[in-house]
Amino acid sequence: MSRLEDLKARIKAALPGLECVIAWQKGYDPLHNTPLFIRTEADVDKLEWGPLNVHNPAVYLPSFRGKKIGVVVKGCDSRSVVELLQEGLIDRDDVVIFSMPCTGVIDLTKVKARIAAAGTTAGAVTAVATDGNTVSVTAGGETLTLPLEQVAADKCGSCQFPNAVLSDQFVGDPAAPITPKAPVAADLATLDALSVPERMAFWRYQMERCIRCYACRNACPLCVCRDHCIAQSREPHWLTQEDTSTEKFFFQVVHAMHLAGRCTECGECQRACPMDIPILALKKHLNRTIHDLFDYQAGVDPQAIPPLLQFKVEEDNIKERGW
Amino acid sequence: MPVLTGRELRIVGFLCNWCSYGGADTAGVGRFGQPTDLRIIRVPCSGRIDPLFIAKTLISGADGVLVSGCHPRDCHYAEGNFYARRRLEVLKRFLPILGIDPARFDYTWVSASEGQRWQKVVTAFTDQIHALGPAPRYSDVAPELLAKVAAVIGQGGNRVAA
Amino acid sequence: MAAVKYISRDKLPQWLAALAQDRRVLVPVAEGDGVVFRPYDPAKEPIFGSDATAPPKSAVFPACQELFRYEQTKDAENPDKSTLELIPNLEMPATVVFGAKPCGARGFLIFDRVYQGKKFPDPYYKAARDATVFVTMACAKVENTCFCHWVGSGPADPAGSDVLLTPVGDGYTVEAVSDKGAPLLDSPLLTDGAAKAAEAEAVKTATREALGEAPDISSAPQALLDAFNDMDFWRDQSDKCLSCGACTFLCPTCYCFTITDEPAGLNGRRMRSWDACMHFQFTLEASGHNPRPTKAHRLKNRVGHKFSYYPTLHEGLIACCGCGRCIKSCPVSVDIREIVQNAVARSKA
Repeated sequence: MSRLEDLKARIKAALPGLECVIAWQKGYDPLHNTPLFIRTEADVDKLEWGPLNVHNPAVYLPSFRGKKIGVVVKGCDSRSVVELLQEGLIDRDDVVIFSMPCTGVIDLTKVKARIAAAGTTAGAVTAVATDGNTVSVTAGGETLTLPLEQVAADKCGSCQFPNAVLSDQFVGDPAAPITPKAPVAADLATLDALSVPERMAFWRYQMERCIRCYACRNACPLCVCRDHCIAQSREPHWLTQEDTSTEKFFFQVVHAMHLAGRCTECGECQRACPMDIPILALKKHLNRTIHDLFDYQAGVDPQAIPPLLQFKVEEDNIKERGW
Repeated sequence: MPVLTGRELRIVGFLCNWCSYGGADTAGVGRFGQPTDLRIIRVPCSGRIDPLFIAKTLISGADGVLVSGCHPRDCHYAEGNFYARRRLEVLKRFLPILGIDPARFDYTWVSASEGQRWQKVVTAFTDQIHALGPAPRYSDVAPELLAKVAAVIGQGGNRVAA
Repeated sequence: MAAVKYISRDKLPQWLAALAQDRRVLVPVAEGDGVVFRPYDPAKEPIFGSDATAPPKSAVFPACQELFRYEQTKDAENPDKSTLELIPNLEMPATVVFGAKPCGARGFLIFDRVYQGKKFPDPYYKAARDATVFVTMACAKVENTCFCHWVGSGPADPAGSDVLLTPVGDGYTVEAVSDKGAPLLDSPLLTDGAAKAAEAEAVKTATREALGEAPDISSAPQALLDAFNDMDFWRDQSDKCLSCGACTFLCPTCYCFTITDEPAGLNGRRMRSWDACMHFQFTLEASGHNPRPTKAHRLKNRVGHKFSYYPTLHEGLIACCGCGRCIKSCPVSVDIREIVQNAVARSKA
């Protein structure tokens, strides 16, 4: 039987003991899949696996605490599950993790740009076919065959975790990590190349179109405060409701700082943004700092304590200035 | 007290109650002269300082922020400054990606008896901020800079296509 | 019915520049990877013919608006006394929103019934609404998320617009829809469009046909009420929802707000800003009780409001313009069409 059939069989076997199993199914059009909450055997048959599974299902786990739940994850999603375990936000005994090796997911904005360049719109897509390496999109009667590596999410181009870091049921042969084409991720390289005043202008420009919907916050698996977020509290009063770029940018600073040492770079914040604002760069930069200072990566070892929740009396990499 | 316009810049200090605030007191009692730009906010411990305090202070328009606590191993609460050291170092390295000069923020350790050290630190930091001048504001970015950055971003330039 | 006029595409920048002489002209432009309405800048080419990421809602209903400033002055003779002065801010710039799709302008018909009702007319809304003229562009192509025809509208629906442009060949026919819009047709850049009128009608018909048949959702108001207590149904509809506010803030018809005060010593400002019923805080009461504690409750309210409660209160007008932004921009692809149809099917079963 195929890998997918094997996975479905294992989920069906585990289902009776579980509240539900979170996975993916077809969405409203051939370009979109959407999260699936499997409660019955009939639901299992809707399960889809492939490059359209862009969502991180770990975001739903904390709200199911206290119940036994299953989740199907890609490698990057599994790091979020591990980070939730590191922080005690979910219980290992209550989560059954299913996974298969992943060869990448699409970045819908890149696909839309390619479709637009071909003279039609994503809203006219009638069929999408994928194999491991290409995505064929049929729109307005024409079929575009796009190499997956050209339209994949940026994170996929340097994926070190194509297989779940932690799982109960892993179906298939493990995939190899990807050697990144460039030493520094493209969005970080863009910012590195700008001077400090230019970076201020960059964020001022980018945050202008933010609509403060908090999709970035709510799509983040680690932003568990969401109903009680300080961005919306009056006591303490961190932010006003003003519609200025500065106010909206400060929220991103709060979000990034609260994720320091916790963010697994799943990229959901950026993917969820309806205005396509490149906010992942802030967290990537912080992760680079955390890695340089503490030789640490979030969401890899369930027993590890995040670096900002511990300390060393003599720090290896913090050299303070003399006065 | 209002900032002495044209002579003072807005520098905010977060000082831990036990060591650094005591040290600043010692400097005062000893009549050690120092620039008056720095205005102090007292906190119980440097470990109480949320790095976002500093970020908000700078984004709201302060020209400089100085944090001072007990020397590591001498924290009044035993461990607070160990956590602070990690958080503040991370923050200092984060500021440049936000478009804020990291030289506008520094953290230091001054004990209650170190009045002269406090004078030296405040003088050095104030001079450092004066050399940098008033801080640029997010609300006041020059249109040419915005246009330049818009050109770098382009349309569809947010995403990398090979 | 006034005469149809015509403007060629290459004359559009001149018309925009002429309008911008004495008014704020908002056009859809690219900003990064998004398309948003910004004041017209001749150096930036407007993007017509596709739906802007965000609708021009802010032109009339700003994301954050100062309602008034307040100033307290203490009496020098008697410090216990102070006087309070309220300084309202009713200055709304004359605005032309140019190039929205008809669905973007139609949203304000839903606003009008709430904000310009007899009982509590809103002076801030009225000032902005009166100051704004909508020049919309009929659609020549449809997306698979368009469902304006489900809610009594269509790709060339003039309702809500003041001037309607229809793309024909190398230009646009220009029709005045309202008295407010008619003066715009006096521009010397416009020529007689009678010869193009038939072509324009053909474009409108073809686009409408491309949308196909709308399903019958006339039973939706009752069906949604029937499902009110079925929390398993709403759990299934809302399982994947992230409870953010993307759908609400991008919706041309969503009109809810919150009021916050920003004090600065004795003075301050009262601000009105957008609020989303999808957020937990929307119905959070001071006691801590929340009548809509889960996202299932909140999604039930959102869909119910748009397709049941509002139409029942307002002579069948559905509080949705079918633009499909909520579907396109939802991070997890919640599809309001699917939810309405599921409710209808549930009642039939």
